[in-house]
Amino acid sequence: MSQRIPLAWLQLRHEKMKLFAAVSGVMVSVVLMWMQLGLLQALFASAVEFHGSVNGELIVIHGQYEYLLRNQPFSSRLLHRVLGSPHVQEIYSIYAAPVEWKNPWNGERRTIQCYGIDTDKPAINLPMLDSQLAVLRQTDAFLYDRKARPGFGPVLEESAKGTLIEPEINRRKMTLKGLTEIGASFGVDGNIIVSHANFLRLVSDRASGEIDFGVIKLRPGADVVEMQSQVQAILGKEVNVLTRDELCERELLYWRRATPIGIVFSTGTFVGFFIGFIVVYQILYTDVTTHLPHFATMKAMGFSNGYLFRMVLSQSLQLAMLGFVPGSIIAGILYAGLRSATLLPLRLELSRGIFLLAATILMCVISGTLAIRKLRTADPADVF
Amino acid sequence: MNNISTYPIISAEGINFAFGQGELRKQILFDIEFEIQPGEVVLLMGPSGSGKTTLLTLIAGLRTLQEGRLNVLGHSLSGASQAELLVLRRKIGFIFQAHNLLPYLTALQNVQVMFDLHPEVTPVEGRDRASRLLQQVGLGERLHYHISRLSGGQRQRVAVARALVGNPQIVLADEPTAALDGASGREVVNLLQALAREQNRPILMVTHDARVVDIADRILHMQDGRLTNNSRDSSPLTSLAMNSETST
Repeated sequence: MSQRIPLAWLQLRHEKMKLFAAVSGVMVSVVLMWMQLGLLQALFASAVEFHGSVNGELIVIHGQYEYLLRNQPFSSRLLHRVLGSPHVQEIYSIYAAPVEWKNPWNGERRTIQCYGIDTDKPAINLPMLDSQLAVLRQTDAFLYDRKARPGFGPVLEESAKGTLIEPEINRRKMTLKGLTEIGASFGVDGNIIVSHANFLRLVSDRASGEIDFGVIKLRPGADVVEMQSQVQAILGKEVNVLTRDELCERELLYWRRATPIGIVFSTGTFVGFFIGFIVVYQILYTDVTTHLPHFATMKAMGFSNGYLFRMVLSQSLQLAMLGFVPGSIIAGILYAGLRSATLLPLRLELSRGIFLLAATILMCVISGTLAIRKLRTADPADVF
Repeated sequence: MNNISTYPIISAEGINFAFGQGELRKQILFDIEFEIQPGEVVLLMGPSGSGKTTLLTLIAGLRTLQEGRLNVLGHSLSGASQAELLVLRRKIGFIFQAHNLLPYLTALQNVQVMFDLHPEVTPVEGRDRASRLLQQVGLGERLHYHISRLSGGQRQRVAVARALVGNPQIVLADEPTAALDGASGREVVNLLQALAREQNRPILMVTHDARVVDIADRILHMQDGRLTNNSRDSSPLTSLAMNSETST
């Protein structure tokens, strides 16, 4: 041991129970923050799972599009106007509508979201989709979302056994031909994918060519922003031309406004932060108080206020790190459990981790700074 | 840090000091005047409440000087800033009535930590100096003992090592034997004196322990806030004689 003495740590470690309590407090706070932010983000992420998988730089929606379930179709003929542009490589159409699924095992009816795609050029990136495009062309064929909520029946179990599954969808007998993956969200319990022709058979009130999403794929090197305004000008005001990120953002905006989810989970996150702050403050404050005579002695011997402040601050940072690491591990375990229970896309994302680490450090530093004020009451003249 | 200096280590003149304001004002020190020369071991003796400790805290720069002139180690203490007082305190070795060691550190760490005030000393050198000094005070076998595992006398010996390890220009000790039994007290004082002598360090020790007066070059007596024997004409012999009369 050739370094200077880790005074802050030795003092912190001196009372094991207090250290344990402080670290537990930080840990609980970190777990809470991970959970709240994770759920918030997972809920939002699930709402744009479809939008994010659209394969094209620009997406055209009706001007009155509010969110996935409240939308107006527009004519796909509009889209053809942009084909003249040298920067447009291809255009695609996607139909979308909620349909009624009758559970073949118990007869219960539930709403499921149905997407009609062009099987020649699907314009959407979904797992296992490309290899199943051929079967999807068959009359009344559909792909089922393996991350749909239960309630549509034991579709996955039965299909794994090879059972023929032929549910009634919008009172039409359809045949399950395979699986894909989109995921449930706030408004949608599950999804199915069909071809354009099958979509029009299912949704009888929809005229051919009245699409919900138009996708424009640009040639490599095209300026997306520039093209966005060009396409918007060509297509007119009836529709909106958005980038994929803008589309996701718009969808989320609806959910943020329409539901208190954002507020609920942000409040939860803040509560977590506050709990951690209070615990660390209490521990550091009592710690400074119990060690006040020692701090006074050190001041008398010539240690500066700055030295002692840094000591308490490094203690708060040590608590932050000690709580953050196990807290994040626990959060990871809880995420895994929740992921399989709720099918929500919960992930320990690095960016969130960095944000939470910063929040934890901030929490501890604020507590430390407040506890430090007590240090001023250490009067070195009292030591004699 | 040259200890051999011609000017007095401490010189005090006309010091008055009071606690409180207005009606509650209580004067503790009256017209204090004395000097301490390099290498001197001076005892400050007197009954409780006579103002010894207050004078010590003034010298150490722990209280603000109100009236008079006080020069310690070349620093004038009237109107000195906190930063200046901090610099002064780093040149002083402190020994307290209770050992005031940090309970969460070992004996060695308690001494070694003083080098955080002296960044010019490398950690390795600091550690060496700390352990050598602890060997000199007879704790070579207990370097890594926590303070709770040491006896009262051993703790105060660690405190002696801590006070001396930074090569202070003066040692201020406040009743270092008060919490110890006679034998341990004697041992601590002997160590302190031997080490200070070896390095030619002056010591100012507040005490009312009559058993340790023999280590003093000179004794200052204090009564009701006044020095009763002027430092200029008190020789150690007369002080000792006076003390042996009063202490029995």
